[in-house]
Amino acid sequence: MLEQERVLAVSDAARAAGVQPGMRRGGVLMLLPDAQVHERSPQREAEALYAVAMAMLQYTPQVTEAEEATLLMDVGASLRLFGGVLSLCRRVRANVRALGFTASLGCAPTARGAWLLARARQTGGRTVKMPSLVRRLDLLEVLLAPPARPFAAWFEGIGCISFGELRRLPRPGLQRRCGRALLDLVDAAYGLSPELYEWIAAPDTFSARLELFDRIDDAELLLAGARRLLLQLTGWLCARQLAVERIVLRLEHERGREARAPTCVEVALAEPAWRDEHLVRLLKERLAKLTLDAPVIGLGLEAKQLQPMAPPNESLFPEPGGTEEDRMRMLELLVARLGADNVLQALPMADYRPEQANAWVPVQQKVSERARNAQMPPDVMSLPRPTWLLAKPIALLMRDHRPFYGSPLRMASNPERIEAGWWNGPETRDYFIAEGQDHALYWVYRERIGADEEEPRWYLHGLFG
Amino acid sequence: MVCSDSISAAPESLHPSLWRASQLARSSNRCVDTGHAALSAQLPGGGWPTGVLVDLLLQQPGIGEMRLLRSALAEVAARRIVLLQPPHPPQALALAALGVPPSQLIWLRTSRTADALWAAEQVLRSGSCGALLFWQNQVRSDSLRRLHLAAQGGETLFFMMRPLAAGQDASPAPLRLALRPKAGGIEIDFVKRRGPQRDAPLFLPLSSNFTYTHRHAPVDRPVTAPVAARGIQPQLVH
Repeated sequence: MLEQERVLAVSDAARAAGVQPGMRRGGVLMLLPDAQVHERSPQREAEALYAVAMAMLQYTPQVTEAEEATLLMDVGASLRLFGGVLSLCRRVRANVRALGFTASLGCAPTARGAWLLARARQTGGRTVKMPSLVRRLDLLEVLLAPPARPFAAWFEGIGCISFGELRRLPRPGLQRRCGRALLDLVDAAYGLSPELYEWIAAPDTFSARLELFDRIDDAELLLAGARRLLLQLTGWLCARQLAVERIVLRLEHERGREARAPTCVEVALAEPAWRDEHLVRLLKERLAKLTLDAPVIGLGLEAKQLQPMAPPNESLFPEPGGTEEDRMRMLELLVARLGADNVLQALPMADYRPEQANAWVPVQQKVSERARNAQMPPDVMSLPRPTWLLAKPIALLMRDHRPFYGSPLRMASNPERIEAGWWNGPETRDYFIAEGQDHALYWVYRERIGADEEEPRWYLHGLFG
Repeated sequence: MVCSDSISAAPESLHPSLWRASQLARSSNRCVDTGHAALSAQLPGGGWPTGVLVDLLLQQPGIGEMRLLRSALAEVAARRIVLLQPPHPPQALALAALGVPPSQLIWLRTSRTADALWAAEQVLRSGSCGALLFWQNQVRSDSLRRLHLAAQGGETLFFMMRPLAAGQDASPAPLRLALRPKAGGIEIDFVKRRGPQRDAPLFLPLSSNFTYTHRHAPVDRPVTAPVAARGIQPQLVH
């Protein structure tokens, strides 16, 4: 990473090769001819910080950007919800890593104190009590504070290295020499003066974009990118107290000879959701099914339909087997992988013809219980129907004037005459329950024929499970 | 030795998962009554165990397997019942007559085995369904083990319907039954159960819920009469 033709940051591999901060571009390329040299882009840094801030909104609505690429969060009200400081820090760290960044965390009773701890990059820079924060701050270097840096030589000259030593200096003299800003910072860090911040306000509509670092045609890698966007969406939804019903993931393709419209993956949810695990699972199945006809260079995520977040409805005694939402989630997941036409629910139709009566519709179609019951026969026991209805009736062989299916079939019931459907696909059939020599029961029918045909034709139409 | 005496006296009193080879094991899972007293008496726990893989080996689809399961399915029908890859389209009216309301039925069709196994695992892991019936001819034993593990996380009744030939292969299922049709019912072979080996098959009469008996005296004899070569067959006349 270069800033004004000087190396600013290096990767581990480059450091091992001898690249040092402050080198020139020529020097770097001499040491590592195939090094990737990037120019520092303040705009992209700001975008990245904003993305992290959006994701952090899920923990507290009070997030603000501070100087030197830091975020300040007031988590005082969120500690109990997320299970204490340790677990909250773990989640924040995991989220930042999922977004593709590394962060050093500081946690303290004052925002400025936390800022200093984080900047000092101490491992486990966490304190919750004021006395221990004072002890820790006293040991930190004065030069961590930005207002102190112009006076670095002077501080070194008088032997004032740590904040503890700085606080022992007389205040009026310090203010005359170093200005008001340093004293304000120290007072804020030690909790002697109140701190005021302008918190980030979540925008009215959500749309996030991510530029991928490479051309990608692998669904797994796309999912990693989509996860970052979903994390931001989660933060935004929590801040606005909304739940999402429909999201659209836009896959932007490289602009080749002809412009190619972005591929849109739309995920519609039966139940509005605001947590990202379920969305990630759905997107994973959808992306696995997707065949890309061109590599993807950018991702965009939009929240299309929003609902106010419903408060979680907890029952005192949880039902075994989960709630209705769990059921809906499972079905959504199945639909995402198998396709809507392969996850079916029964919707029997009031029709005499068995094929028409046995209708199955996609499970996402809303069917009211009344409509379903209205189509059911008053007494289901009265109709002898087989459990398995063959998709296409099988024409049966005739042996000795008997229908034959593996073995000669013996009729075991009275015929049931079904004659209906003159308006579409008329059927005139006599149905029998037949028993084979292996004692399995079959549902067979005889096509009623005109006078001109001599042999009755028999068909197998169902199996009694 | 006093100690060994006491163990040989009552191993089943020491720990719930101990039993003698001559006894039926006690099931630690919740069991759903089979609705057939003769069958329940032969199963550990006195019913179909929930939360484990139960292998049903069928001679062919449509031999009365759904009638065998009807009372268990009716009992768990408060939650959804998933039919995964049935051999033929299921008929909702017939299942309604067996006691399973059509609103609780879900029929999953898959094009690939991997999809079917994935779907079965998702259904079992979610634990929000009452029963899962999964028809699959060829399953590798590691997939079976995976499904068995997934089933143990919940209380779903999980039946795998496989052909009789699959009885030769090893399976992690603690209960494996082979089903063959017989006149007026079904014959059950106990391929594997936690209990004594039973070689004689168990005959279970299955009542059809509909009456298909003749209202008139049957012309048809159970014994196939020699076919006389004249005119219309007596067997076809009712």
